[in-house]
Amino acid sequence: MTQATTAPGATRAHQRFVWAHLIEPWLYLTPALVLIGLVMLIPLVVGVSYSFQAIMLLKPGQAEWVGFDNYLALWSDKKFWISLENTLVWTFGSLFFQFTLGLGLALLLNTHFPLKRLFQAIVFLPWAVPTFLTALTWAWLFNPVIGPLPHWLAAVGILPEPFNILGDPDLAIWGPIAANIWFGVPFFAITLLAALQSIPSELYEAAEIDGASAWQSFTKITLPFLAPMIAITVMLRTIWIANFADLIFIMTGGGPANSTQILSTYIFTTAFKKLDFGYASTLAVALLFLLFVYAVVLLALRRRFVRV
Amino acid sequence: MAVVARRNPLMTVGKYAAILFYLTFALFPLYWLLKISITPDQLIFTEGTALWPTDATLENFGKVIWQTDFLRFFWNSLIVSLASAAITTVIAAGAGYAFSRFRFRGQKLVIALMLLTQMFPLLMIIAPIYKIVAMLGLLNSLSSLVLVYTAFNIPFATFLMQSFFDGIPKDLEDAAMMDGCTRFQALRKVILPLTLPGLGATLGFIFTAAWSEVLFALMLIRSEDSMTFPVGMLTFVSKFSVDWGQMMAAGVLALIPSCLFFIFIQRYLVQGLTSGAVKG
Amino acid sequence: MKKLLAGAGLLAVLLGSAVSAETLKLVEVITSPERTEVLKGMVDGYKAANPGVEVEIISVPWGQAFETVATMIAGGDTPDVIEMPDTWQALYADQLMPLDDKIAAWEHGATLTQKTLDMGKLANGKVTMIPYGFYLRAMFYNKKLLAEAGVAAPPKTMDEFMAASEAVSKLDGKYGYCLRGGPGGTNGWIMMAAVMNGSNEFFTADGKSRLNEPGSVAGIQFLMDIYQKGYAPKDSVNWGFNEIVAGFYSGTCAFLDQDPDALIAIAERMPAEDFAVIPMPVGPSGKAFPTIGFAGWSVFNSTESPDAAWNLVAYLSSPESNSTWAQRVGVIPIHQGADQDPFFKTEQFKGWFEELNSPDYIPTIMPTYLEQWGYFTSTILKDSAQEALLGQKTAQELADEWAAFLTDEYAAWKAKQ
Repeated sequence: MTQATTAPGATRAHQRFVWAHLIEPWLYLTPALVLIGLVMLIPLVVGVSYSFQAIMLLKPGQAEWVGFDNYLALWSDKKFWISLENTLVWTFGSLFFQFTLGLGLALLLNTHFPLKRLFQAIVFLPWAVPTFLTALTWAWLFNPVIGPLPHWLAAVGILPEPFNILGDPDLAIWGPIAANIWFGVPFFAITLLAALQSIPSELYEAAEIDGASAWQSFTKITLPFLAPMIAITVMLRTIWIANFADLIFIMTGGGPANSTQILSTYIFTTAFKKLDFGYASTLAVALLFLLFVYAVVLLALRRRFVRV
Repeated sequence: MAVVARRNPLMTVGKYAAILFYLTFALFPLYWLLKISITPDQLIFTEGTALWPTDATLENFGKVIWQTDFLRFFWNSLIVSLASAAITTVIAAGAGYAFSRFRFRGQKLVIALMLLTQMFPLLMIIAPIYKIVAMLGLLNSLSSLVLVYTAFNIPFATFLMQSFFDGIPKDLEDAAMMDGCTRFQALRKVILPLTLPGLGATLGFIFTAAWSEVLFALMLIRSEDSMTFPVGMLTFVSKFSVDWGQMMAAGVLALIPSCLFFIFIQRYLVQGLTSGAVKG
Repeated sequence: MKKLLAGAGLLAVLLGSAVSAETLKLVEVITSPERTEVLKGMVDGYKAANPGVEVEIISVPWGQAFETVATMIAGGDTPDVIEMPDTWQALYADQLMPLDDKIAAWEHGATLTQKTLDMGKLANGKVTMIPYGFYLRAMFYNKKLLAEAGVAAPPKTMDEFMAASEAVSKLDGKYGYCLRGGPGGTNGWIMMAAVMNGSNEFFTADGKSRLNEPGSVAGIQFLMDIYQKGYAPKDSVNWGFNEIVAGFYSGTCAFLDQDPDALIAIAERMPAEDFAVIPMPVGPSGKAFPTIGFAGWSVFNSTESPDAAWNLVAYLSSPESNSTWAQRVGVIPIHQGADQDPFFKTEQFKGWFEELNSPDYIPTIMPTYLEQWGYFTSTILKDSAQEALLGQKTAQELADEWAAFLTDEYAAWKAKQ
């Protein structure tokens, strides 16, 4: 844009303001908004509206509005609270290991070693396997009848004898968590690696000249630069994991005795087995609300502690 | 850029130990996939725990390639994944740029809406999405999948790209704009090349998300002509048996395009900012 | 001149609509590549006999079939003809076309067995589906394991069954029963309760569930004993279909109760000389009550081509087509006399036909007409049974829980009749 001419500066500046703040950003945003609005948001509104209705899956014509009745039922639903607790274990159990292993892998890939390209392509593969196949494979691996893991775990002493942890109410959740870790490490590895690549190398060089140790470089240079990316990826991955029912559904079916029942599988059962679509939508909205609060908190923390 | 490690033998041993660990960790279940795919049906259960079948065979691969429509399914998946990746990245780059460079009214609302779309179980809103896709006349076509995958992945891709744009100082395009470019030209010529790692990561991520997606592919596609390979794999799971051999063979074959795609985008992942661009 | 043009136009329209093809949407839900091939062959025969009708076959993977079909219909895409499993019939009943009149006017209607018609009417008293076959639960057992354990003959009674399981479990790393404690295990519990109770009635005359009568509780306790005494593997508390067949195929557990349409899959994965099929063991009353299931073809009310849709169902259910289908799929055919076919006289089907032809084996029909039956089997029964197996509940508590739920459900159903 050329400098303002001798025309009334106020009008020209105003035009630029309008352009810069009210129009131009939206031009860049419009394609995204149109798509999301049409394909995701409208159905989402419909989905949320179900939570205020008593609606059976195969009888949509007989739906009736019940206001907040479903939400009141939620409060006294024991299974809801059990599922919520399991969801927390599932989500943060998976997240912690995925993140730390993913970060480690990203740091590793940020160095040089022979055949790195091949190595990189291989370690990213778990993310490319369809999740139901991952679930079936891991269920196979944990089954002492046909898989090796219980025998190895027993040989190493972690298990007293080879049995299927998926059948033990105290241990069952770790089966899907293991599969989820295997699946999710590449996600963090790719995103954190790409962020690592953007850190200017002269910062490390300067630090080395100043005599900083590897650990100090890591905590004072790497982490702060990674922080924005960490915040986003952790937030989004948490949201996805909380909603991620496939692995649990296939590996344990929510059992034994509801020990691996997370909100997501509970929603599925309520909707498609009990056919109570209204209440299932209520559960989904409850989950939505919790995740939204979590996201808001995380974003607030990010703004506070991260200087972009 | 790469961290310069001191030539410390302990560090080197540690590094290679780590490499070995990650390799084993990633490969082990994949190895099992491969093992089952080369085991003949009769031995799959009796030799379940063996590390290698006594009678390895390639007949499962043969069946998958020649006796099923899998080659077509792979092709469909490839088209959908590449299209979704490309379109999503372009749109997300625009949106991410907007978030990074502008402060405008309604910004928080847009971010909130984007996040909301990620938080609701998709299975619960499949029916309305189905209706909308039907209204657009796209039911049973690969375009419907591209549409839905793009819509679902835009939020994450946008936040990713925003992160990368945030890492590039505004001075660069301000300088370019003062030299006579429009903002868009500045974006295209100056900024985008510097976010190649971000673009690479986004492309890689969307490609694999679309590549292995099952739910929408199952619900929105009816005819075998437009089927994608994950749904094709589901047909190996019937009420009374799982055709493990063929399913794993298909799984192994499906990894090849992913592998190739990753190798392809690595070139972009590896490139980083050099001090020259920032300072000079 | 105008009249001529108008007339020609009208004629063209009439001719056009007569020549343009009707398209029927046929959805199959119990799918496998082989079944789809057979179905396509049969449909080709239909198309040859009915030119002008196109049939689009949509094959939905069974694992996700219920959700997929429900979504299709909720999205406005209702099929014309659908493969209807027994467990879905009550849920879809009011959307299905009653076929009573059509069957009465059908040339092959008279040869349908009584059982076929009864099952078709199970949901709401009108024939909402024509079953294509029945499957009866029988006991598969591993001959080698029994021989190794010193069990001379396969068990005929429940006591012999418990003893045989105990014997096999003494072998190192082997177990007697492939218990399905996880998803889909309802049939096992119901059969055990029924066989020890001497009756497979679900409800008394005044609508109370019979599942917590002392005999039924004994049956429930029987299964719990098998698990808690170690005659079934410890992780079988959460075993689903994949795990029980893996256990059976690999020779880990010796007994497996399954429908003989699983026979085809088992025969492909185990050598024929290693296993055999026997009727379910009888209880104290000298009788056993194997569960019976079925699936068939239905027409949706919303179809735009009711006649063509009915013709398709009729074609698929004709004695010849049905015989082919039943043999390929492994179910008992629906027309009188069809089970005399030499195909069903083979060794493989022996145990199964013994059940059919002997008065000691009385088929148990699950109360799929109850609206929440699906929820009961998939969730309530499964979760509570797992708790009981793990020692968190007694058999009596378990039975009382089930009885309470089912009594309520029955009352709700009765109120709507």
